[in-house]
Amino acid sequence: MTAAADLASSYELVVIGGGPAGLAAAALAARVGVSTVLFDENPGVGGQIYRAITSTPVKDRTILGEDYWDGTRLADEAKASGALIVNGATVWSLDRQRIVGVSIAGRARMIEASRVIIATGSQERPFPIPGWTLPGVMTAGAAQTALKAQGLVAAGRTVLAGGGPLLWLLAAQTLRAGGKIDAILDTTPRRNWLQAMFHAPDFALSPYFAKGLALLREVRARVPVHRVDSIEAVGTDRVREVVFSKGGVSQRLPVDLLLLHQGVVPNVNLANAAGVAHIWNDRQLCFVPVLDADFGSSVPGIAVAGDGAGIAGGTAAAERGRLAAIAAVRALKPDAVVPDTQAIRQSLQREEMGRAFLDWLNRPAPSFRQPEGDTIACRCEEVTAKQVRDTARMGCEGPNQMKAFLRCGMGPCQGRLCGLTVTELIAAERETTPDEVGYYRLRPPVKPITLAELASLPISEAERKAVER
Amino acid sequence: MVAEGRAAGAGTGDEFDVAVVGGGLVGVATAWGLAREGCRVVVLDEGDRAVRASRGNFALVWVQSKGLGLAPYAGWTIRSSNAWQGFSDLLKQETGLDVSFQRPGGFHLCLSEKELEARATVLKRLHNQPGIVDYKTEILTHDQVKAMLPDIGPEVVGGSFCPLDGHVNSLRLFRTLHTALNARGVTYLPSHRVDNITKDGGEFRLTTPHGEIRAAKVALAAGNANMRLAPMVGLEAPMRPERGQIVVTERLRPFLNHPVVTLRQTDEGTVMIGDSKEESVDPSGLTIGVSATEAERAVRQFPLLANVNVVRTWSAIRVMTQDGFPIYDESKTHPGAFTVCCHSGVTLAANHALTIAPMIARGALDASLVAPFSARRFHVQAAG
Repeated sequence: MTAAADLASSYELVVIGGGPAGLAAAALAARVGVSTVLFDENPGVGGQIYRAITSTPVKDRTILGEDYWDGTRLADEAKASGALIVNGATVWSLDRQRIVGVSIAGRARMIEASRVIIATGSQERPFPIPGWTLPGVMTAGAAQTALKAQGLVAAGRTVLAGGGPLLWLLAAQTLRAGGKIDAILDTTPRRNWLQAMFHAPDFALSPYFAKGLALLREVRARVPVHRVDSIEAVGTDRVREVVFSKGGVSQRLPVDLLLLHQGVVPNVNLANAAGVAHIWNDRQLCFVPVLDADFGSSVPGIAVAGDGAGIAGGTAAAERGRLAAIAAVRALKPDAVVPDTQAIRQSLQREEMGRAFLDWLNRPAPSFRQPEGDTIACRCEEVTAKQVRDTARMGCEGPNQMKAFLRCGMGPCQGRLCGLTVTELIAAERETTPDEVGYYRLRPPVKPITLAELASLPISEAERKAVER
Repeated sequence: MVAEGRAAGAGTGDEFDVAVVGGGLVGVATAWGLAREGCRVVVLDEGDRAVRASRGNFALVWVQSKGLGLAPYAGWTIRSSNAWQGFSDLLKQETGLDVSFQRPGGFHLCLSEKELEARATVLKRLHNQPGIVDYKTEILTHDQVKAMLPDIGPEVVGGSFCPLDGHVNSLRLFRTLHTALNARGVTYLPSHRVDNITKDGGEFRLTTPHGEIRAAKVALAAGNANMRLAPMVGLEAPMRPERGQIVVTERLRPFLNHPVVTLRQTDEGTVMIGDSKEESVDPSGLTIGVSATEAERAVRQFPLLANVNVVRTWSAIRVMTQDGFPIYDESKTHPGAFTVCCHSGVTLAANHALTIAPMIARGALDASLVAPFSARRFHVQAAG
């Protein structure tokens, strides 16, 4: 176990995040002699997709599926590469000078990096429906984490709601693990099929096609699926019922656990705080970093690989990690022998081929992204959709002013759970685009650290004089 | 309101009594005061990513230490401190929003005998100035402080206490003033950065990216940007922007009943730690070592904070005139143009709304109250 004090003061390459992109990047760079450290927040590597790959109690390989177990090879390669892999390491700060603020077991350090690869992956898109803050309502991703890390399967009456590949994957994994699902509420708008079908030929050639079809068939055979256009979680102390409607006809189901999922979006917080430029991607309905062909960002020496660069899945993430690492190696050690990028780019292209179909198909309807009335938009500060809409109408033009007016985005989650919602609500009220509205400007710490940790960092004479008098 | 604003911005011939340039706390407090006087007011603001001092303020309504070097500033500050309760009551009547103004008295805490000595010297020099209003700041020992702030650490050797010091919820104040402006029909135009001001006949013409705004009077409340704007109307506002950083914690149970100049617990439970000063004017930069110093001193002052989570840090540019004191001026060459420019936008908000705004509405500043704050003082000093 590496302690904060054991870290060197600088590394040639710092990789942030131990999912497929981070593991592949660290392994490639370290193998050719680049001094590499990988910081990962979790107890073990794997990221979300391969969470707990080295420790999961779910040993029956059919439950999580062969795609999950692909993660073993990535973890093994990274371990054998000579990269220093530090788990339980929270990176809370990164600046344009590539100084990385990291905390391990309550001790903070500032580490210098010649190159940084941000591989902080994706997060679930906020899914703000009435009642989504009630106990008993969770995200599908959280349920999958419990399954992978602890082997836990939901008990009681369980309903999954939303859309996107992960929703169906979790359903299948839950069923295989002996769990029961009472219903799936599919929010995919029917008109999405029209847009998606343009891209069906590419999708038919991608690896996702056969897998996706098999998954749908497996789940539909055992779980009733309702296509819905509104969902509400109902209960006072906890969720008791889920109310949904289709074409104006309302139905209710008693429920103990409601699992929501509306696809994943890049986790932009660290890159945003480091000053990396982002742009709105209208197909994926999220902000993505502006990147070059090697995943280099607008900040020199900082690359963003994996799903953080735009959602493309685990296999693509590893290839992106390799390309970012090759660019770093070429800059740091021009004489080092690196793999041929052509082959990697081709593999990446194969993986990305089916994305357009999936993106258009799984684009959530506006009503599931832009809530109304008393539905909570910002959970940390309990700000409602109506408050955000009213304040936008009063002349508040963007999310940073909105923070000042309503405190939304100022809680411990640093806007992760409301950022896209607030931007989209302002855009809707101002009748403009999310790109025009922009996103929260984030500041360190992007993850909470204690005052004592902050206080223990090195302080120069000038910095002390800026405060003492 | 936005639609109405766009129409005005597009130049439909709408004309205003007063154009307030700047949508920060100084601007909106002044605009609200003007609207109360019956003026038709337009507030011209920048966009979401503008450099905004109002988003970075520390929310103190602060008296102690004010006025060293310019004695009338102490009296001006006390006037606002005394007017604050009434100001917040008026806002609550209009909007239903409570800005949580409290005046329990505030502290300046010292962590060494040297700091305490320096503190005592400053207060002595302040009180020795001719014409100073006595505001009853006293130096207290560790035990005296501890009686009022039971959670201080052993390293706090003492401090100063002023019964007139207080604080508010400044973000709610910002929102409340905007809400009140909206209710009073004031036109608020964001993304209307003022590029040029001319006076043509009896009216001012303000050039913005979204068209020209016309008004009989203009009040410059644009913070550090007043330096650029004031010369357009025959005024001056010499500024020296200064960066400050703030650290904010997660919410805690209430433990601190008095604000400290460097640390306060908000009505929402979070703890704000700040008061750094750096010459840098890059508003997007942040010096971790400065945040570390603030954290280190905060933990020494209140050891119970050690294991509390920091959820945010941020930096903001202080509006600072060259000598640190406010500038209130009216133009001789461009009658009807005024500057309202100061650092302590929260403390002085009551004065801006209830004293300065009525003067602008009448068309002349009251020299008996604000003559010492004219920018002409910079020339006097230069000559001396």
